[in-house]
Parts: sequence; C-alpha cells; structure tokens
Amino acid sequence: MIPLSGGRSARPWWSLAIVVTFVAAWIPLLPLLEPLIRFDRLSTMLDARTGGLLWRSVWISLLSAVLTIAIGWPYALICTRWKFPGAGLFRLLMPLPLLMPPLMVAQAWFGLTGLTGMTATVFTFGVCYAPLPALLVARSLGKQSAASFESAMLISPRLAVLSMLRISLLPALIGGGFAFLFAAGDFAVPDYFATVGDLFHVYAAEIFGHSRNADFTAGATASLPLVLIGLLVLLGNARLLKSQLGYESGQGRHALPTKAKGLANVLLPLVLLGLIAVLLIAPLLQIYYETGKQGPQSERLWSDVSRAAFQQGITDGRSSLVRTMQFAGLAGLLCLVLAPLWAHLILHCRNRWRSVLMILLCLPLLVPSVALGFGSILMFNQPWLDQFYSSLFLPALLIAGRFLPIAVFILLDIMSRVPDAQEETAALAGCSYLQRLFRYRLGGHHSALWLGAGLVVAFGARELDFAILLPAANSSAAVRYYNALHFARDNFVAAYGIILVALLFLPVMLHAWWQSLRNKD
Amino acid sequence: MRNSLAALLTCLFALSCSDSNSSSGGADLVVYCSLDQDLSEGILSDFEQRTGLKVETQFDVERNKTVGLVNRIIAEAKNNPRADVYWNNEIAHTLRLKNEGLTSAYRSPSAEGIPASFVDEDGHWTGFAARARVVLYRTDRKGPVPFKLDDFLDPAYAAGGAMAQPLTGTTLTNATALSLIRGDQAMLDWFEQAQAAGLSFGSGNADVMRRTCNGDFLWCFTDTDDAAKAIAAGNPVAVRYLEQGDGDMGAMLIPNSICILDSGKNQDAAKQFVDYVLSVEVERRLAFSVSQQIPLHEGVAMPEGVAVPGTDYKVMDVDWAAVAGAISARAVAFQEAFVK
Repeated sequence: MIPLSGGRSARPWWSLAIVVTFVAAWIPLLPLLEPLIRFDRLSTMLDARTGGLLWRSVWISLLSAVLTIAIGWPYALICTRWKFPGAGLFRLLMPLPLLMPPLMVAQAWFGLTGLTGMTATVFTFGVCYAPLPALLVARSLGKQSAASFESAMLISPRLAVLSMLRISLLPALIGGGFAFLFAAGDFAVPDYFATVGDLFHVYAAEIFGHSRNADFTAGATASLPLVLIGLLVLLGNARLLKSQLGYESGQGRHALPTKAKGLANVLLPLVLLGLIAVLLIAPLLQIYYETGKQGPQSERLWSDVSRAAFQQGITDGRSSLVRTMQFAGLAGLLCLVLAPLWAHLILHCRNRWRSVLMILLCLPLLVPSVALGFGSILMFNQPWLDQFYSSLFLPALLIAGRFLPIAVFILLDIMSRVPDAQEETAALAGCSYLQRLFRYRLGGHHSALWLGAGLVVAFGARELDFAILLPAANSSAAVRYYNALHFARDNFVAAYGIILVALLFLPVMLHAWWQSLRNKD
Repeated sequence: MRNSLAALLTCLFALSCSDSNSSSGGADLVVYCSLDQDLSEGILSDFEQRTGLKVETQFDVERNKTVGLVNRIIAEAKNNPRADVYWNNEIAHTLRLKNEGLTSAYRSPSAEGIPASFVDEDGHWTGFAARARVVLYRTDRKGPVPFKLDDFLDPAYAAGGAMAQPLTGTTLTNATALSLIRGDQAMLDWFEQAQAAGLSFGSGNADVMRRTCNGDFLWCFTDTDDAAKAIAAGNPVAVRYLEQGDGDMGAMLIPNSICILDSGKNQDAAKQFVDYVLSVEVERRLAFSVSQQIPLHEGVAMPEGVAVPGTDYKVMDVDWAAVAGAISARAVAFQEAFVK
C-alpha cells in the first residue's frame, strides 16, 4: 500500500475504529478474560455429562448448518441466475426468514406439525438461518464474471451450471459456518422443543445454568469449549473467504440471469414457492392463527381474541418497539462506519495479524451474552459514567461490538474482490482516505454495507440476555416478548411477534425493492 | 461522501436526542421488578399518577427466574448502586440480598395484617400476594391424580403426570424447601424415583401447564397463577392442593416479596412505594388479575372459586432463611442431576 499522510492516511481512521471497538467490544470482556483463559479447567469441565452435552450441541449445529445450505444454496442459485415469472419477488423475500425470532418459528412449526425434540430443533435452525448461505451465494453469483460464464455456456450448459456451483460453494459453506455458530449458542429453541416434547439438553443450557450462578463469570468459564469451537469455525470461514477470492475478480461485466424455458419456467417458481412456504409463509400463517386461539371451552370468537391481542400488542408494546428500534438502529449506524474501516484494516494486514484481529473482533460474538452484560455493568456502571450507562448509547455500542464481525465478513468478501491498483490510483490522484474507501473500494457495493448493518439491526433487535441487564435496553421488545411467552400470554405473544417481524421486514423489503428498481434502470 | 457522513451524524444525533427518558437521572425512584411485566406495569403507573413521582422500572425475564435482577443488583452495588426498591415475584433471592447486606430495614404500616411468617423479623423484607404449588389436572379424562407428593413415585400416577425440572423459579424453591425436610440426597433420590416411575419433566411451570391443556398429560405440578391462566383460557382443567390429609405438611405458598435497598438514593420515595405495593388495594388487584395471586392480608376479597389458604387448604411451614441459604448449592446439584 502507498504510504500517505494527513487526511489521506488510513491510520487515523483505523485507530478510530480500534478505539470505538475497544470500548464497544473489548472493555466489557475484560472481567471475563481470567475465566476465559483458564484452559486448565477444560479437563475438569468436560466430564462425561458435559462432554455429552457438547457433542450433542455440535452435531445438532452441524446438521442445522447442513440444512441451511441445503435450503439456502438452491434457493439463491435459482432466483439469482434464472429469469422466470416472480423471480424478483422470491429474491425480495430471501432475507426475511432471518428476521423472524427463532423461538417464534419454533412455536409455529410445533403448532403446525407437532414436531418436537432434536429433529424439530435442527429443522427450526435450518429454516431460520437458511438466508445466511442464500444471501452470500446470491451475492457471489451476482458477481460472476460474464466472460467465464458465457465461455462455459458455449462449451456446454452443464459446465455453466458447474461453474455456478463452484463459485457459490464456498459462500454457501461460509453461510453454513455462521448458522453453526448461531445454532450452537442458542438456548431458547432447544429448550422450547424439550419443553413441548421429550426432554433433552444442549451445551448452551449448561452455560445458561452457570450464568445464573452468583459468580457470573462461571458462565464465561463454562462457555470456553463453545468459544473455542466457534473460533475454529470462524477461522475456517476466514480461510474459505480467502480461497473464494480465487474464483472472482469482480471486474468487468457480470453474468446475467438465464431465461428459463419450457418446463423449467413452471418448475423453478414452484420449487421456490415450496421453499418460501416452509421458510416464511407457513410459520407466519400459523402464528397469525395463534393470535386468536383459545381453549375448547372458550366462548369468545377467534376474531375478537385476535383483534384484542393485536390491540394489546400495539398499546402495551409500542414504547418497547420504539426503544428497540432506537438502540438497534443506532448500532446499525455505528456498523455502517466501523465495518468498512475494519474490513479495510484486516484486508491490509499481514496474514498473522489478520488472524489475531479476526479472533479479537469475533470474541464478543462467541462469549455468552449474559456474561457480556455483567461485564458491561462492572466496567461501565461508574458514578462518573452514570449518564452514559443509562443511555441508549451503551446497548447500541455493545450490539455493534457484538455483531460487527458479521458485517465485517460481508464487506471483506466484497472489498477483497476490488484490485488494490484501483484504490492506489485514487490515492495518487489525491483522494482522501474516506473517498478511497467508500467510493473506490466499496464502489457500487453499498448494498453489502446496508446488508451488514441491517443484519446487525435484526440481531440487535432480537438480543435478550444482555439487553435485559442494561438500563436503556431493559424495556425492549424482545424482553416483553419473552416475558409474555413464559407467562403464557399466548395470543399477545403471537400478535406482538407479528408486529415485531413486520417492523423488521419493512426496511428490508423497501431496500430490496429499491435495489431491484435500480437494477432495472 | 460528505453528504452521507452528514446524514449519518444527523441520524446519530436524532437517535441520541430521542433518548430523553432513558436515564435514571430524571427518575424519583428506581424499581427493579421481577413480577410479570403486564401485571406490574399498571400498578407502577398508578403509583406514579397518585404520587406524581417518576418511576424508572427495570424488569427481568421469566427465563432468568429472578436471578438476573438479583445478580445485577449485586454487580451494580460494587461501583454505583442504582436500584431503590426490589420487588421480587418469589422470596428466596430477596433473602440472598439481605444476606449480602444490601437491604435496609423498613416496617411498612401497610404490612399490618400479613402473617408473621411472611414478614422478616428484622423488617428487611415483606411477603405479599402469593402463589401456591398445586396439581392442575384435566377434568375430561379419567385417571389417577395425586393427593400427596409421594404419589409422584407411584407409576400409576406418575405415568400421566409432569412437573418442571427443579432448576429455577418456584420449583427450585419448593424442591429446596423439601430437601431441607427430607435431606439433600433423599431429595435427589426422590426425583430419580419419580423419573423412573414415568413422571415427565418439562423446563418450566407454564410449559407443563400448556402441555396438560394440550392433552399430553393428565396432570401437572405447577403454580396457581399458571393454573388460573389455563382455566381462564377455557381449558377443561381443575386444581388440587397436595398434602392435605391429617399430619400432612400442606401446600407450599410462595409470596411476592419487596425490600428497600440500602444504597438506594431515594429512600423516602422507596418507602412510599413499598407502602403502596403492600396495601390491601394492590393485593386485591393482583388477586383479580389473570394470575389470581393469593392475598396474604386477612379478609381481602378474592375471585370466585379461588381457595383461601389456611381456611380451604393447609399451608406448609417454610423456614425461608434456611431455603435462601441452601438454594444456590441445591441449584448446582439439581443442574448436575437433570442437565445431561
């Protein structure tokens, strides 16, 4: 990289990103460092009982990841690279299942099928996180070089399909890797299916049990095996990302979708309709039905109960929804600035430092959020920080710090495809650092930036365990939702879940619609 | 680029400005509340209207079963205590705060009429609005429904029944109280025998209640508030109090509890709030709520069909201080026995 000074140098901006991330992501981890680095405890920690729990968590998460790939990969492949009636709508709907709280999806599928136990857990995770590989595959296929695709097509259509599969395999695996991480750390979904069916436990239950302990760092210590597994998966993902670069240049014309002909024109939309019915339509309809569901001896009409539930959802839950959107939105905005800076910094690091930075960046995502919440209390609840501690900035910062790696991963994928020469030319032409970063590195890929920030908002809005511990996030929509669920306010829970999902869907749909309009132009 | 940055900064500014009421700096009273949000919110807002005081409330999720807020109070107390009052939906963890030296003594005049067994002798906490541990059973199906806890060990009863694992909440409190009577190992053996007899274990009281309503079980061991919701939702279910024979220990009653925190900055407002929450009016309100909490003041009106403790059924004597002292160790032992 060309050494630059003043406003043209990257270093002040990278330093800023490191300082903000230090506050947002690393300071709350400081009280957890000691329990997290007690590797000597691993041998005593993993007795037959906990070893069994860990093994169960690993294979449930692995199967879930495989299922997300099995659903997400073909979905993205079909709707990105073929042109048929409704393809645009299916592309529009692709990210939406990710915005539905997994617990809500679990409830819906239990209501629909009566499915319980570990099978239902794997199925729910598969359905919830299928958009992760789908989004990455769609992004990758959208950037496939037209020249390479058309050359393959000239030789044989089979070769063209193979080239699409080859280029999208690694993004699908990366998406599956993220799905594995989220599934392994989830306590609520297995707990729900164990409740409605035969009892079973996963390793997250062990962490959750220790997190309720008077010694809150016990949760962090108990999480060590999962943290290590998560780190391995993330490092594997980083490796896959690097390998993926060999397939794409990002330069020149991109391959356009192929027009589906004959039977394919009917079959392809039908396949996608089936998938989106499983991912989105069926669970939403079931939850809608549950807004008015009553016992057999009830004399109230379904419509009356449902209307009352929605009314209560709006009147009682409005302020919580606004509060959630405030701190999650603020976290998303922070990531709009931080993620490109981090992705650029990591891209320009030497290999060894790159791994270290990735590990440091990912650590808040891997530790249990309850422990992160207590770490924040200990570090930020100081008399001189009283205003900050009780303001929206604290949950926003912590959410940004926790979910930043997701946005950084997405941007790394995009930025690494842009040749260094392009940025260096801009530097020689006297462009400032921010211009080089946003105009020349990110260039026409701002949608990736919004996608990353959008995911941070969605995950932030769903966050419960550390949100409940922070004053400004305590009255969040997630807290109200989980409280109502556990106190068996089933109609309210269903109605509030739909309101929450609609609120999250709206910006994503608008953005996707705007993108499709731009692409048409 | 400059336009984008300006837009971003404007958004950040607008969002931060909209955070006008998040700080406890403007509040006259900070209440940490473990009782169900939709039950307590109305009471808190009525208190605000009557007194003109601004109350900042922090809630817990039921999943944490009180422990989240208690641990938070302990963690915050290290550097900068924030809470003035803690309103707990059970009792054992309030005693944990007392044992940590974080509560202050206050004998509320509103507590007059509450039985002495539910009031701390030093005045550090007061119990009110209780839940009882009961069996909820289906009235539309035939089958044996237990009368005593040891009926759970009989396969004829156990095969159709369920209870929550004793890992959290009232089930943990109940199991801890029983282990103090029967012995730690005997209680673990009791659970093992119940499981072997065919008793199902769920993850929470509301969950086993739901499954009983769905017809998965003939009966479940749960709390009266869950039972009240099941009945109100139109399910064919009824309640039975256990251990009611001669010489039996009676049903366990677990009250809400309230305490003032020693480090609270608004002690006068805290006392006003405690007086209000312990009033007959609030107990009556909670009794007529969806969870039908049982008033501890004598003579408070109750909804039709709700049994009166001490009159309609026998109540178990509990040494709450001993339960509070044993509960953490019991939680670990039960976790090791159940989470596998």
